[in-house]
Amino acid sequence: MIKIALAGNPNCGKTTLFNALTGSNQFVGNWPGVTVEKKEGKLKGHKDAVIMDLPGIYSLSPYTLEEVVARNYLINEKPDVILNIIDGTNIERNLYLSTQLMELGIPVIIAVNMMDIVKKSGDQIYIDRLSEKLGCEVVEISALKGEGIKEAADRAVWLAQQNKKTPAVHHFQSEVETILNRIEDKLGSQIPNEQKRFFAIKLLEKDDKIVTLMNVVPNVEDEIKEIEDMMDDDTESIITNERYLYISSIIDECCKKNSKGKLTVSDRIDHVVTNRFLALPIFALVMILVYVVSVTTVGGWATDWANDGVFGDGWHLFSIGTTDYENAVEEYDRAEQILVAFDEGEDVAQIMDEEENVTETVTLNDSVVSKANEIAEAGEPDPSEFGVWVPGIPGILESGLDALNCADWLKGLILDGIVAGVGAVLGFVPQMLVLFLFLAFLEACGYMARVAFIMDRIFRKFGLSGKSFIPMLIGTGCGVPGIMASRTIENDRDRKMTIMTTTFIPCSAKLPIIALISGALFHGAWWVAPSAYFVGIAAIICSGIMLKKTKMFAGDPAPFVMELPAYHMPTVSNVLRSMWERGWSFIKKAGTIILLSTIFVWFTSYFGWIDGQFRMLDAMELDHSILASIGNAIAWIFTPLGWGDWKSAVAAITGLVAKENVVGTFGILFGFSEVAENGTEIWTMLAASMTAAAAYSFLVFNLLCAPCFAAMGAIKREMNNAKWFWFAVGYQTVLAYAVALCVYQFATFFTTGAFGIGTMIALVITAGFLFLLCRPYKESQRLNVSSVMSSK
Amino acid sequence: MGTLLVGSIVVLVVVMIIRNMIKDKKAGKSIQCSCGCGHCPSQCHHE
Repeated sequence: MIKIALAGNPNCGKTTLFNALTGSNQFVGNWPGVTVEKKEGKLKGHKDAVIMDLPGIYSLSPYTLEEVVARNYLINEKPDVILNIIDGTNIERNLYLSTQLMELGIPVIIAVNMMDIVKKSGDQIYIDRLSEKLGCEVVEISALKGEGIKEAADRAVWLAQQNKKTPAVHHFQSEVETILNRIEDKLGSQIPNEQKRFFAIKLLEKDDKIVTLMNVVPNVEDEIKEIEDMMDDDTESIITNERYLYISSIIDECCKKNSKGKLTVSDRIDHVVTNRFLALPIFALVMILVYVVSVTTVGGWATDWANDGVFGDGWHLFSIGTTDYENAVEEYDRAEQILVAFDEGEDVAQIMDEEENVTETVTLNDSVVSKANEIAEAGEPDPSEFGVWVPGIPGILESGLDALNCADWLKGLILDGIVAGVGAVLGFVPQMLVLFLFLAFLEACGYMARVAFIMDRIFRKFGLSGKSFIPMLIGTGCGVPGIMASRTIENDRDRKMTIMTTTFIPCSAKLPIIALISGALFHGAWWVAPSAYFVGIAAIICSGIMLKKTKMFAGDPAPFVMELPAYHMPTVSNVLRSMWERGWSFIKKAGTIILLSTIFVWFTSYFGWIDGQFRMLDAMELDHSILASIGNAIAWIFTPLGWGDWKSAVAAITGLVAKENVVGTFGILFGFSEVAENGTEIWTMLAASMTAAAAYSFLVFNLLCAPCFAAMGAIKREMNNAKWFWFAVGYQTVLAYAVALCVYQFATFFTTGAFGIGTMIALVITAGFLFLLCRPYKESQRLNVSSVMSSK
Repeated sequence: MGTLLVGSIVVLVVVMIIRNMIKDKKAGKSIQCSCGCGHCPSQCHHE
């Protein structure tokens, strides 16, 4: 089996090429650090060849965990050929890695990517001359457009079959070469001959991680001292300078820049979006817009259709006849209320419009009553008379189960359990798809990479770097990959802090909770959904400030160097694929873990003891269920947070299995399938169970508290320490509780004026927060390295 | 009869879900993660 390793700088297009060559669907992000582990795929058209997509690296002197992964693979696994992808628009920096790859004693083929952009900008790269100077095969490709990739892969396979090592054509100046020869001699037979030069250079550079790959480490201190004294510099700088001098000589001969000194379109956009004063307001505006459109407007309309139609009573095809039907239903309800008032001997009828929340007073006289009689006698309007009526899933299932004469408990399990629970979760899929569409676009066009740079300015003030924002960015999809992405952070303390705070950013599973609270308790107010996102960011910032002042996390901020990719218009297929992949993953989850959870919740909530007899309960007897007993035992914990009823308590607890379960559990406990006939009753039932202050407190608690078990597992793996894991989970839960308590107590105080012991506790907690936020740092901020923006 | 038929289908679906979840777990995939394998930056989920 031929092993081809894809190696290159971060964000040079390795994963795009990997997907194109293997037919995989690995996520491609327009920012560095998307891939933190190697991934294997079979090369299309070559049965005996596999490709390994390695995390992006700038050099073979690793600083971060994913760089170690890439280097160790290249040294230990010894692939048959290295396909080195270099970004043609930034060839100088990319060749730095190439010069090191060629020292590994493995055949190397260089693929110059993004040649279409190079040509468009009027620049020129003379491929033949580059190949001649580097002493290896060089081909030009455009991974995004699929140009030249097959030829590059075929060439790589051919090279592997030839097993012809790429000779290192680069030689350092004679003094360095002499020292390297001496070190190579000291290595003896433990290192294969073809790798000796690489190991010698690393030992000379004082690479402390290389010794882990050696059985016996020769003493090279004399050689290091000799060359440092001779050249008046440290060895790492000597080697780096030598490499760049060599690369400069290649660039002079092989490349012609047309756009030297000119501002690119990306540069011009960056002048605005990364502007010191405008950057944050623009970011806030973008995120508000994204959440408002996703949750409140476009996504909200689509979700209404899903909840009221697909998982409700049904819907009119293309909405033809909907307005007439709704008017007819309104007329019918009005007539019913008039007749009830007339029967009770009233002179006037108070007609309640629950949707609009207004009351109309109608004076009862003969003509009004006779008209109402006429409408009522005609019967409840039949939706199928107003257009093509498509019945909802619960209706179809109920008819089917009735036709099969199913037992009531089985009908209950399917309709009140599975359909109510899974349906309540799936009803939010349209909102999620819209959100994923926006996020995919912002990620792919390059804006999100800028956000990391923008956030660096804020994060740096409390000792974290913008690098911590990358995991949070990934965490908007799911906390698990977000936590894993923290591997790109070199500083262990910063990495641990990032792991602890990444899940504060609302992931896709929390979106249904946000949408539910926004719709049910705040009548779809535009600010609720964006505020959830900003609560997450505020929690991260405040946690950073507080934790950085403790001994465990104290330390100077790490420098943040990040290459900003050029803006580009993402392809429609890529954006749609990204959206669909995330959406489909959510749907699959609803059909597995959520479905099983709903069965458990239904069983425990619809069975219980009444008068000493264990039996199935009806919807009005749920307070006697097993789940109610469990919920009541823990509900008191949440009383200070405003939602101390058993239903909310068990919903929050089931959210630990998967956050979507919060909504699924509400769906079962508030009888989603039964009450959704007029579309909005589920909201009314939930709204009646808690105040707006309690609802926002519930939302905040679920956003910030310990994540689902999958994310907790990821925290445990990445922390690699039980104490740290429990500290992280404990911190998240305590913070969520404290913030939710303050939210509820202060909101209640300001809206009702009620002042009690809870308000006093909230004041004490706030004072504690302020103290932790404002107390001085014990260690001074000495590091003055500012983030470097190396935009093209 | 209807109860037996529908009940059997429900049991079959549940058994299949559990079987798949065990299979995924053995393959090193998370059974709760909703990132989508394509989005996973790690190797444990790759397909």
